[in-house]
Amino acid sequence: MTAKNSLKRLTLLALPLAAVAASTAHADEWAPTRSIEYIAPANPGGGWDTLVRTTARVIQEEGLAERNFAAINVPGGGGAVAWAQIARDSGNPHKLFAASPPIILVPLAGTSRYDHSDFTPIARLITDYSIVLVSADSDYESLTDLVEAIRDNPGLSVGGGSAPGSMDHIAMAGMASAAGLNASDINYVPFSGGGEAMTNLMGGHVEAVITGAGEASGQLEEGSDIRAIGVSAPERMGGVLADVPTYQEQGIDYTFDIWRGVMGAPDMPAEAVAYYEDLFAQMLETDGWASARDQLGWIDAYQGSEEFGAFLDEQKEQFSEVLSELGLRGE
Amino acid sequence: MDAFNNLMYGFGIALEPTNIAYVFIGVFAGTIIGMLPGLGPISALALMIPVTFAMEPSSGLILMAGVYYGAIFGGSTSSILLNAPGVAGTVATAFDGYPMARKGLAGKALAIAAYASFIGGTISVVFLMLVAPVLGRVAVSFGPAEYFALMVLGLTAVVTLSDKSLVKGLIAAVVGVMISIMGIDLQTGTERYTFGTTHLLDGIDFLVVALGVFALAEVFYMLLRGGGGKEQPRNAIGSLRLSRSEIKEIAGPVGRSSVLGFFVGVLPGAGATVASFLGYSMEKRIAKDGDTFGKGNIKGLAAPETANNAACTGSFVPLLILGVPGSGTTAVLLGALLVMGVSPGPMMLEQRPDVFWGVIASMYIGNIMLLVLNLPLIPLIAKILDMPRPLLLSLILIFCMIGVYGTSFSVFDLLLLLGFGLLGLGMRLFGFPAAPLILALILGNIMEESMRRALQISGGDWSIFIDKPISLALLIIAVLSLCLPLVKKVILQARQTRG
Repeated sequence: MTAKNSLKRLTLLALPLAAVAASTAHADEWAPTRSIEYIAPANPGGGWDTLVRTTARVIQEEGLAERNFAAINVPGGGGAVAWAQIARDSGNPHKLFAASPPIILVPLAGTSRYDHSDFTPIARLITDYSIVLVSADSDYESLTDLVEAIRDNPGLSVGGGSAPGSMDHIAMAGMASAAGLNASDINYVPFSGGGEAMTNLMGGHVEAVITGAGEASGQLEEGSDIRAIGVSAPERMGGVLADVPTYQEQGIDYTFDIWRGVMGAPDMPAEAVAYYEDLFAQMLETDGWASARDQLGWIDAYQGSEEFGAFLDEQKEQFSEVLSELGLRGE
Repeated sequence: MDAFNNLMYGFGIALEPTNIAYVFIGVFAGTIIGMLPGLGPISALALMIPVTFAMEPSSGLILMAGVYYGAIFGGSTSSILLNAPGVAGTVATAFDGYPMARKGLAGKALAIAAYASFIGGTISVVFLMLVAPVLGRVAVSFGPAEYFALMVLGLTAVVTLSDKSLVKGLIAAVVGVMISIMGIDLQTGTERYTFGTTHLLDGIDFLVVALGVFALAEVFYMLLRGGGGKEQPRNAIGSLRLSRSEIKEIAGPVGRSSVLGFFVGVLPGAGATVASFLGYSMEKRIAKDGDTFGKGNIKGLAAPETANNAACTGSFVPLLILGVPGSGTTAVLLGALLVMGVSPGPMMLEQRPDVFWGVIASMYIGNIMLLVLNLPLIPLIAKILDMPRPLLLSLILIFCMIGVYGTSFSVFDLLLLLGFGLLGLGMRLFGFPAAPLILALILGNIMEESMRRALQISGGDWSIFIDKPISLALLIIAVLSLCLPLVKKVILQARQTRG
């Protein structure tokens, strides 16, 4: 009797266990059941938008997913409007968005209630680096020249393509700090895009400009009015940028990544995360991706969900230090 | 002769059958996009990037450029017929275009807009071809201080835009500037007048205000005065034909605005809107019958309509010669070119002459197509005014709401639209002009940012604005244009007392 009973009890116990086992077996096979909302938290044309549209196109053309990746633009507040919307959609496995350093910088500045820890990291995909530019006839031959000039004259204007406390400013201030200057000695002049900053450099309105290397590379061909004196990459970049020395080569121990990746709604189920991680890893292997990536000047920098999450935490620590030094940390 | 050979080479490319087809598709799609508010040229072009990805770069740019200038061409329609400007560049078109439509001259107004756009577009392409390589220098000579001075000059147009009471015009302009500073401040990241809501972080979109104070206010005003409809003969479209004297009358404004528009368009960031306002206020000052501007003067319609199309062509100078985008729209074009493997810039004329000259030649063809395409459509489109009043008013309402919701997908913006409609109604009832508010809203942002950027560069030293020759010259012109009417008045009075 007792034996029979305990056996019965065992089966009762085993049933849910079996169910759990079955669902883990299913985990690898989770697939979207409807279209994926793939959000660019900005207007068409910018970095996030390009990432979303390019990856969606490659995934579709290479036939990697059964369901459609629908690109949606939710502009506003440098991303804050979209993040607030996505944060409300906890657990939704059909909602992804493009992310880059602003997901850390904007909350640190105090203008978004949500930061990277509110969302599910899926994968880091690519990276670009910062580049420091001067006009072609400038006296600054190297980054060291520029740093020395700033040491003598902190009023020297350095233009960038984004607001104070965001990407370009942090990249410049961090470099200055590593070179032994005060981060707040940089007289940073914000323009509304890297293009506008470079135009102002050509016209001689600012002394130097910091912007994304990819955006600047089109400007650095022969006959150009501007010249690059340093990239924030750990090693030299390719193409027209092959002659540009890194910060480290010039004795300034600092690198800065302008990474871009994909994140999902808060608390996305693990099996969905695994599905997307795998999907993006596959996408990076395709020829369609390789040609798009090279044309846009991107560099592959894949990290899976877990690694990406740890990387984001690290970035937050690094950025909040620089922002505090600049006195730009919000609460 | 060199330019001629290059142009022939360009026509060789633009006249390939596939490219002719792309020009046609581009300008046709552009006209339609321009007529509907909400789907502006920026989003339309961004949506097209995947389509052009696999194309020959010259074909891709020919297609996308067609959409861009086609949209500016078509944008005048809703301004004239419904007082609802769909893009910023066509706000000034409504000042005299809509009164003309109300007088039963809708057909003529649309025809003038089409001719003015055509001529502005064509003359500016000639400029683009002849002087673009030299102009790269001019475009970069405008730094923050120069932009500030240009915006100050633009703001002096408030004087010409406030017809009845200058004080009321200035009050409206101040309100416009106040609205323009809402949102995150680019210089410090501080939130201004956002009332803690994320909806206002980017400030208030121009389209919401323009459709509110112009189109919605007009609807409310008509409702208030009783939906009767006997007040004006709505059903008359009128003739499309211009008399010889009318052609003579607008020839001057069109010529001047083509030149003005092109050069303003060359400056990154200034663009079609500033050009159209400057063109309008310049003509109003020059004209002997300046007091009829705003009441359906054909010169007041022709000038801004010419200037905005010329500026659109001008904005290709920084894009193609320097490889830097001067506006949101050209930024998308630049992105598309990069994806196609062409990097515009100083070397492009040598490396990819097919793209440069092909596009220029295609613009001649595109402008002719736009004219041929639009003229026969005018009677059909203008029929919209034949609708019964209740239907027409509801249509304008829906049109505005789709326009606003289509750009932001935000219900909050719809409420704002309603609020600005009521504001506009109040302004009309108490005799405050709406145009200065819109002008100040558009210019206020660039003016503030440029001023603070200039001061950031100079370390807080205000003399930067008078040390730079271009900036000084523009500021002097601004002061003169404010003082001249006063001086004129004083002289007249002195003469009268003497006489």
